[in-house]
Amino acid sequence: MFHAPLVFARWLCLSLISLTLFACAKPSLDSINAMTFCSESNPGSFNPQLDTSSTTADASAHQIYDRLLEFNPSNGLIEPGLASSWLVSEDGLTYTFQLRRGVQFHTTPYFTPTRTFNADDVIFSIDRWRNSFHPYHDVGGGNYPYFDSLNLSERIKSVERINGYRVEITLYIPDSSFLANLATDFSVILSEEYAITLMADGRPADLDRFPIGTGPYKFREFRQNQHIRFERHADYFLPTTGPQQLVFDITAKGSLRMAKLITGECDAVAFASQSDLAVIEEREDLTLLEKPGLNVGFWAFNTSKPPFDNPNVRRALALAIDKTSLLDAVYLGQATRAKSLVPSASWAYQANAKELGYNPVRARELLDQEGVPFNFTMNVWAMPVQRAYNPNAMKMAQLIKSYLADVGINVNIVSYDWNIFRENLRMGLHDSVLIGWNADNGDPDNFYRPLLTCDAIPSGTNRAMWCNPQYDALVEQALLIDDFDARTLIYHQANTLLFEEMPLVPIAHAFQYQALRSEIKNMQINPFGGIRFDSVERQAQ
Amino acid sequence: MKLFIRYLNLMVVTIFILIVLSFFLPFLFPGDLLTNISGIVAQSADQRTALEQVYKLDQSIFHQFIFYIESLLNSNWGVSTNDQSNLYQEVSLAFPATLELVGYALLVSIIIGIPIGFISGLKNHNPFDFSVVTFSMVGYSFPVFWLALIFITIFCLQLEWLPISGRIDLLFDVPVETGFILLDIARSDIPNKPDAYLDALHHLILPTASVAIVTTALFIRFTRRSIMDVMDKGYIIAAKSRGFTQRQIFFKHGLKNALLPILPILALQISTLITNVMIIETIFSWPGIGRWLIQAIYQQDYPAIRIGMLIVSLFVMAMTITIEFITRAMNPARERAESAAV
Amino acid sequence: MQRFNLYQEEYHPSPLVNIWIEFRRSHIALAGFVLLVLFVVITILAPIIAPFDPYLQNTNAILLPPAWEPNGSAIHLLGTDGLGRDVFSRLLYACRITFGSSLVIVAVSVLIGVGLGALAGVLSGVRSSVINHLLDSIMSIPTLLIAIIIVAILGTGLTNAMLAITLALIPQFVHQTRTFVRNELQKDYVLLDRLDGASSPRIFIYSILPGMVELIVVQATIALSVAIIDISALGFLNLAAQDPLIELGLTLSQGLEVAYVAPWLIILPGLCIFLMILSVNIVGEGLRSALRNRLHH
Repeated sequence: MFHAPLVFARWLCLSLISLTLFACAKPSLDSINAMTFCSESNPGSFNPQLDTSSTTADASAHQIYDRLLEFNPSNGLIEPGLASSWLVSEDGLTYTFQLRRGVQFHTTPYFTPTRTFNADDVIFSIDRWRNSFHPYHDVGGGNYPYFDSLNLSERIKSVERINGYRVEITLYIPDSSFLANLATDFSVILSEEYAITLMADGRPADLDRFPIGTGPYKFREFRQNQHIRFERHADYFLPTTGPQQLVFDITAKGSLRMAKLITGECDAVAFASQSDLAVIEEREDLTLLEKPGLNVGFWAFNTSKPPFDNPNVRRALALAIDKTSLLDAVYLGQATRAKSLVPSASWAYQANAKELGYNPVRARELLDQEGVPFNFTMNVWAMPVQRAYNPNAMKMAQLIKSYLADVGINVNIVSYDWNIFRENLRMGLHDSVLIGWNADNGDPDNFYRPLLTCDAIPSGTNRAMWCNPQYDALVEQALLIDDFDARTLIYHQANTLLFEEMPLVPIAHAFQYQALRSEIKNMQINPFGGIRFDSVERQAQ
Repeated sequence: MKLFIRYLNLMVVTIFILIVLSFFLPFLFPGDLLTNISGIVAQSADQRTALEQVYKLDQSIFHQFIFYIESLLNSNWGVSTNDQSNLYQEVSLAFPATLELVGYALLVSIIIGIPIGFISGLKNHNPFDFSVVTFSMVGYSFPVFWLALIFITIFCLQLEWLPISGRIDLLFDVPVETGFILLDIARSDIPNKPDAYLDALHHLILPTASVAIVTTALFIRFTRRSIMDVMDKGYIIAAKSRGFTQRQIFFKHGLKNALLPILPILALQISTLITNVMIIETIFSWPGIGRWLIQAIYQQDYPAIRIGMLIVSLFVMAMTITIEFITRAMNPARERAESAAV
Repeated sequence: MQRFNLYQEEYHPSPLVNIWIEFRRSHIALAGFVLLVLFVVITILAPIIAPFDPYLQNTNAILLPPAWEPNGSAIHLLGTDGLGRDVFSRLLYACRITFGSSLVIVAVSVLIGVGLGALAGVLSGVRSSVINHLLDSIMSIPTLLIAIIIVAILGTGLTNAMLAITLALIPQFVHQTRTFVRNELQKDYVLLDRLDGASSPRIFIYSILPGMVELIVVQATIALSVAIIDISALGFLNLAAQDPLIELGLTLSQGLEVAYVAPWLIILPGLCIFLMILSVNIVGEGLRSALRNRLHH
């Protein structure tokens, strides 16, 4: 007769045991000097000039490129970058930069540079966004959202080559934030030689897809929704200790990033979910860095659409939500309540700024007064990615939905893939949106100007589509002065105006976190934008 | 031979139908037709006209169709709306990964499912059979995505034995040649091959197991049912009465007759298998065509959806028809019979 | 169903009663049946049973664990989610949508499938072979692929997903009905009807259909379990039900956000889907063996 079941059972047991043994045998990665960073989304391109999304900045700004000037991540002071020194004229109009010599561009399978970095690269990089007749201006869409939102191209009179290693930039009017802007993630220096080669080959768009820079890492490969590979730039002009290979593992779901951090598949993750922070702190093998963030999360109304063009309606909606409970539920207390645009870490912070409290009854009265009917339906766009300033926009949208239901307003929550989301926002298809802003430099102008001035509407950083000449004049006026106290007073006036007009409801200034494996050392949070790996080290276990 | 021609004919007709369907998809998708076909958002009127000429949009629908078939054959499949990547390249990178997962899952299911099904079918209504039936009932009632999540919770997060995502740790920089990871490791010249193999196999375990459990459960059921039916047949009873041992009867008559009816049912299961694999790919970030397609849907990448849909359905169709052909060729008697399994 | 009894002493239960008697013999089948009835009850009565409004947010009670855990609260039997909504109530509503929509899907596919199948069975020759080939083609396209295409054309949404699954389920009913009808048409009782002058539709409805009901019911249980799996899988992938709706697969994928701190938010919805499918499968299996046993006697 048959004894097959028995034989089979034995076989099954045996294979299960061997499987278990095999599963326990961990493959070793020690011999590879490499590191995996799990990022949250696909970069829009590999040129931060074209994009204000921090995903793009993370993937390129401090890996592939350098800037003329750099921020010191710990104190925010401006330090030399590709410019070894600089000089500002007495009238504040002329800036002269002395450039570093012998800085090598990346040598990759798709490009071999024949010369080192010089003044032509600086002029090319600035002219690309500044000069709308530049052959490269329209390559990649012709939108340079950060510079456009500051209207920077209109402020620069000329960018001139004095000699191969000296560049002079002249402005029309003094700008106290100009140097800070040159140190932001967006002011990267591209290779002019590479651009010319590509143009000659008839594929200029590759400039932003297969990037060449001077930064600590060379680009190797990008697979949409999968990974980005970088390799250390052996001839980098500064000493670095970063890993030989750097991989960005694109992992959209926050929970999956957390899981992969635990299994060790990620060495560091972007935007750990707020609810997991306690777990990360508890575990020995994980480390949590934190820093008060220079950011603001807000709820912006599309003021170009009725009834949101009416300040009273906007105020009514602001009255209808309880910020305190948003802070509790979404940030789990890891944020401070926002009253205006800038957080307390900024010198322009106004502690006594006026703020609307939670008052649903008054909200309904105002809505009735302005003729917004009961059961009026509006949409709230919730961004699909996590950001320090809003770790879970979808959850916040659901809370807002239930608050607005109390005052008789129906809410549809809308979300798209991140790149589509921002494109649709730029076109103004939204009624209101939950989004925010992360500082690119320490200057308050970096909040007031890109978020709400008229020039920032077409560039897509003014999510409220709000244009107010009075406000623009204030912001403009603040830049002409170099005195902090005088500027602070002007920004306080702007705060009052924003309180009355309420184009957006500031919600929170959140802490910035970085979760990583404990064997990764020397990682720092960069409060002014993109993540950096040039000094990161993996400690052998 | 006649049979072969009939099936070849069937195959050609089906392929043609699928191509026609995929040809018309861009007309149904929302948005700009030109972008849906080419993947390029025209920046200017000039570029638009030029593109329209390339894709023959200025000519009759018939010319457009001919052009479509030509470009399919020339591997000129257009670009993704998202990042302008070449679709032919993307598919040829993603598809082998899916094949790999399908193959391993199918292999595991056949190796485990069919013998267990046989044994429990022969020995039905004993404790072994009862536990097998219970397992298979539970097994194919699992929603595959939940099973995968539970596996992740246990084996990755609690025990920390196995990795969660991908086919191999990204730090192993294995160049893609064939698209099949184990082969690629063999052909590569990376320094630490044994570790790479071990790592790749580790990555395989959970996705394969998640898909295979459901499929195995199905295979067990079909096999068991089939062997029970066969063993009830007259010729088996006759053989029994002539004094053959059960072993003789099983290998002489039972095996083949029980296996044959399973094949077409397996063919039908391929589409379920593919659906499960696609879901598993998204959970385990397996860089296969299923995950790619689902990302394409999230990102409204219509050219990618069109091509991906065509490739996957062609594959499933080809598999189904081939299996059916093999079954018929092996058992001409079944030709007229229709399967009406209760 | 009352039947004329020639022999008074012998009890002939009707076929349906007969199946029920056979079905009842298996305890497992009966347990499955009870579970299934429970899901039906939930589907109908969810708003009455649920202790809370499933949309009611309570920011003071976020991510409470189920009542049996140390920090659990007896008010929220299965805990709360990231917005402080009662998980038990949400699960009841989710079961309702998932199960209800699956039932609708199966009902529609049966109606359309049997209709088309009957038509194909009554007709014959070339037209029938064309239908056959087309059916085989559609049947082998994976449901998920059909769903992706429909979602690409019409956008995401529960109705669109239901449409996709219905499309994927119809062919098997057509196939079965067609085969059955063609086999029956060759039998004598049909010939008798035909000699009596009955039209084809009449023959189908009065003579063939009654004999087919059991077959369809069994097939429908298989289809129901497939529909539940598919609708929740699509919900999980965010391709079916969208946020304000509460659907099991969707709830599961929302629970993923806090999977590490609140594992019950993925365990419970998954368990519901699993039990739902299991109960349908057990009942289906029970019906099949009951049917087989009855035919045996």
